[in-house]
Amino acid sequence: MINELMIIIFAPLLAGVLAWLLDIKGIREAIGVIGAAIPLAYLIQAYQTLSTQPSIQYSIALAGFKFEFLLYQINWIFAMIAGVVGFAAVLGMVSTAKDSYEWLFALISLTGVLGVFLADDLAGFFIFWEVMTFASFMMVLKYNRKASLKYFLLSVFGAYAMLIAIGIIYAKVGALDFATIQQVLYQDAMRGAFGTDTLFSRNEMILVFGLFLIAFGVKAGMFPLHVWAPDAYSETNQSYTAMFSGVLSKAGVYGMLVIYILLGTRLMYEFGKFGAAPKFGYIIALLGGLTIIVGGLLAALQEDIRKLFAYSSISQIGYILVGIGVGTALSIEAAIYHAVSHALFKGLFFLIVATIIYRTGKTEFKDMGGLAEKMPITFAMAFVAILSLAGIPPLVGFASKWLLFEAVIHENMPILGGMIFFGSAIGFVYLIRFTYAVWFGQRPTDLDDTKDAPLPLAIAMGILALLNVVFGIAPGLVAKELNKIFGKEVIGGTIYELNLGFGRYNGLLITIWLVVGLVIAAIIYFLGAKVRKVPVTDTYQAGNPVTMEYNLTIRRNFFLPLKETLAFWLRISFDRLYQDIGKWIEDLAETMRHYIYNGSVQAYAWYLAIVLLILALWGV
Amino acid sequence: MLMIAVKAFLILLYATFMGFMFMGIIRIVTARIHRRVGPPIYQPILDTIKLLSKKSNITHGLIYDFGVIYALGATILALMFIPLGGVSILRAYGDLILITFLLEIPMLGIMFAAMSSGNPWAGLGAQRALLTLLAIQVPLGFAIVALAEFYGTFSTYEIVMAQQTVGWSITHLPLLLAAIAYDIVLQAMFGKEPFDIMIAPGEISLGPMVEFGGKHMGILQIQHAIALFAETLFFSNIFLGGAVVTAFASPILNTIASLAVLLIKQLAVLMIAIFIGVIFPRFTIDQAARFYWKWPTIIAAAGAILAAL
Repeated sequence: MINELMIIIFAPLLAGVLAWLLDIKGIREAIGVIGAAIPLAYLIQAYQTLSTQPSIQYSIALAGFKFEFLLYQINWIFAMIAGVVGFAAVLGMVSTAKDSYEWLFALISLTGVLGVFLADDLAGFFIFWEVMTFASFMMVLKYNRKASLKYFLLSVFGAYAMLIAIGIIYAKVGALDFATIQQVLYQDAMRGAFGTDTLFSRNEMILVFGLFLIAFGVKAGMFPLHVWAPDAYSETNQSYTAMFSGVLSKAGVYGMLVIYILLGTRLMYEFGKFGAAPKFGYIIALLGGLTIIVGGLLAALQEDIRKLFAYSSISQIGYILVGIGVGTALSIEAAIYHAVSHALFKGLFFLIVATIIYRTGKTEFKDMGGLAEKMPITFAMAFVAILSLAGIPPLVGFASKWLLFEAVIHENMPILGGMIFFGSAIGFVYLIRFTYAVWFGQRPTDLDDTKDAPLPLAIAMGILALLNVVFGIAPGLVAKELNKIFGKEVIGGTIYELNLGFGRYNGLLITIWLVVGLVIAAIIYFLGAKVRKVPVTDTYQAGNPVTMEYNLTIRRNFFLPLKETLAFWLRISFDRLYQDIGKWIEDLAETMRHYIYNGSVQAYAWYLAIVLLILALWGV
Repeated sequence: MLMIAVKAFLILLYATFMGFMFMGIIRIVTARIHRRVGPPIYQPILDTIKLLSKKSNITHGLIYDFGVIYALGATILALMFIPLGGVSILRAYGDLILITFLLEIPMLGIMFAAMSSGNPWAGLGAQRALLTLLAIQVPLGFAIVALAEFYGTFSTYEIVMAQQTVGWSITHLPLLLAAIAYDIVLQAMFGKEPFDIMIAPGEISLGPMVEFGGKHMGILQIQHAIALFAETLFFSNIFLGGAVVTAFASPILNTIASLAVLLIKQLAVLMIAIFIGVIFPRFTIDQAARFYWKWPTIIAAAGAILAAL
C-alpha cells in the first residue's frame, strides 16, 4: 500500500517522466494533465481525513536519513494552492507547451513544490527545494540563457544560505525533523527566560534567522533579492509562469512561516517585540512593504506585458510578507488568505498572457490594441482578474486585501499601513496600463484575424476565474479553513461575512447592492434613445478627420510623467549593483588567472614549495 | 424588505438632488468670485435632462456602455454604506477601508469606457487620472490609518457615535492633521483646481470625458452628482462629527434635523474646495505628485504616528 502523501508528491514526477519518454503528441498532454490532477484529487480527499484527525503522517528511511512527511492544516492550504493552480497551469500548457522537455520539467517542479510543502524535516525540505529550483531553472534555460543564469545564481546563493542555517541547527540540536527542532528551541527559549545558559547564542540566532531570510527571500522575490524574478518569470512558457509565480513563489512565503514554526518562540524571546509584532517579523514586514512599492512602481513602467506581470507578482508577494511579518494570528491568516488569492488571480493573469502571446505572437504593448472585440472570452477573464487584483469588491482580491489592511492598521503600524495603501493604488495604475494597451482602442491591422483562446486554456482560465468570484462573494469559505490553523475563531462571521469585531465585510451584501446599483443605472440607460455603433476612427480629434493611419493610442511610455517624477529613484538599481559585483568578481578572477593560475608548471611548483615551507615553519 | 427599498430610494433621490444642487452652487459661487452672474442653481439638472433626452446617441461598443453603467452603479453602492444621519441602510457594514475603495472604483468604470472609445485625449486623461490617484493615495492612506488607530475601530458609524461623546475628530491634534491632509486630497477627488489635471478643460479637451455625449454623459452627470454628495458626506462623518440629533420627540423631525446639520457641514467642505479651486491655477502632473508626496504626506503621516502612540 503506497501512502497517499507519496502519491501526492510523486504523481507529477512520474507523469512528467512518462510524458517525456513516450513523447507522443496527444498522449503526453493527457498524461501530464492526469499527473497534475491526481495530487489535487488526493488533496481534496485528504480534507475529509483532516476533519477527523489533526494530521496525516508518513516517514521513509533512505540512505541513513529518515524523511518525515506531514500533512496538516497550514500546509494543506498551501498544497491546495499548488494543486489547483498547478492543475490550471498544466491545462494551459496543453495549448502552449512545445515539446516533452517542458512537460518533464514543469511537472518535476510541481513535485518539488508539493514536496517542500509536505516535508516535515529539514533534509527533505532542502532536497525538494533544490528539485523545485532546478526544474524551474531548466524551464527558463530553454527560453533565455542569461535570465536563467541570473535565477540560478541567486537561487544557489539562497540554497547555500539555507544549507548553512540547517547545518548550524543540526550541529546544535542533533536532529532535522521539525518536531524535535521546534521543541528544542522552545526549551531553549524557556531556559533563557529563566536565566540559564542557552543553547544558541544571540549572534547565532541572528545568523540563522538572516540565512533563512535570504534563502526564502530569494524564492519569494523579496526586495532587494527580487532581481531574478522579472527576467525568469517572463522568459519562459507563460502557462508555466502561472505556476512559477502562483505556486513556486509561495514556497518562499511558506518558508517564512516555517521560520515562525521552528524558531518563532526562540527569536521572540531573544529580540522581543515591536508594538504587537515580533521584532524579527517587523524586518520581514518592512522588507515586504518596500517590495510592494518597488515592484509596483517598476511594473507601471514596463513596456513588455510579461515583465509587467512579473513585477506585479513581486509587488503582491510584498503584501503577503507584510502580513506574515506583523505576526498576529489575524495578520498571518490574512497573509495566507492573500497567498490564496494571489495564486488565483496571478495564475489567471499569466494564463491570459499565455493566451495573448499564443494567439498574437507579440509580447510588447506597442504591438497590441483593440483585442477585446477579437477575444471576448479572454477579455471577460481578464476583467475578473483585473477587478480581483485591483481589490474591487466583491472579488477575492478585495477580501484578502481588506483583511490585511485591517490586521496591519489595527496593530497601530502607521508606516506599514501607508505602504499597503500606496500598493493598492499602484495596482490600479499598472492594471489600467495593461487594459488600455492590450484590449482597447485602435487595433493594429495585423491583429485583425486574431482568434479567441483555445479550449484547454479557456477551461483553465475558467476554473481560476470562477474561484476568484466564489471566494470573493463567500470569503468565509476560506476564513473557515484559516481559523483551523489556530484552532480558534480569529476571523468571525458566516460564509458570506468576515467579522473582526472592529470591522465587518459582507461579500454577498455588496454583490446584491452592486447589482441593485447596476440595475438602476441600466434603467436610466435604457430609458434613453437607442445607440448607434461607430468605429474607432469616428472620434473627436480637434476637428481633424481621423483615418486608421493616425496612431490614436499611447503605445509607448504610457506613464512618462511618473518616470520623470521618479527619475532620481530609478537611478538606484539593485540589479545593476549585483551585475557590478558580478563583473568585479569576474575581473578579479581574470586577474588571478593572469598572475597566479597562469598555466605554467614552474609557477605551480613554486606555490607548492612555498606552502610546504609555510607548513614546515608552522611545525606541522 | 419594502421598508429598505423605500428608504434606499429616498436616500438615492435626496443624494442625487443635493448633488445637483452642489454642482449648481459650485457654478454660482465660482461665477460670483469671477464677478459674473452665473447660471441658476438648477442649471445642472436642466443640462442632464437635455443630455438624457438626446435623440441620437453613439457608442463605441459594449464596454463603452457598460463602463458608464458600472460607474453609476458603483457610486450608488458606495453611497449606501455611508452613514446619513439616522436613515442609512448598510451603515453596520460601513467599513472605512471598504468605503475608501468604493469611492475610487467608479473611476475605473469611467476609465474603461473612456479608453474603449479609442480617443487619444481619453487615453491621456486616463493616464493623468491614474497618476493623480497614485499621488493622493499616500496621504489618503495615512489619514485613514490615523482615524482607524485613534478610534480603534474601522466602522464609520461607530466613529460618528464616538464623536458625539469625545467631540469632533478635528478637535484632536492627530486627526486635525489627518483632516487637513484629507481635505487636500478631496480637492483632487472633486477634480477641482489646482488638481483638475485629469480633465484639464482647454488643455486635453476634458480628457476621459471627451467622447461622451447624450445619455452616456447624462448618466455620468448623475454619477458626478452622487459622488460629490457621497464624498462630502464621508468627510463630514469621519472628521466633522456627522449628525446624530435626538432633541426632538418625533423620529421624523430628528431625521430632518440631522440631514440639515449634515448639509451645513457638507456645504462647508464644498465651499473650501471651491474657494481653493478658483484661486489656484493648474499643476502639471509631476508637480502634483511631488506635492502630494511631500506636504500632505508628511502631515498625514505625523497624524498617523501621533494617533498610534
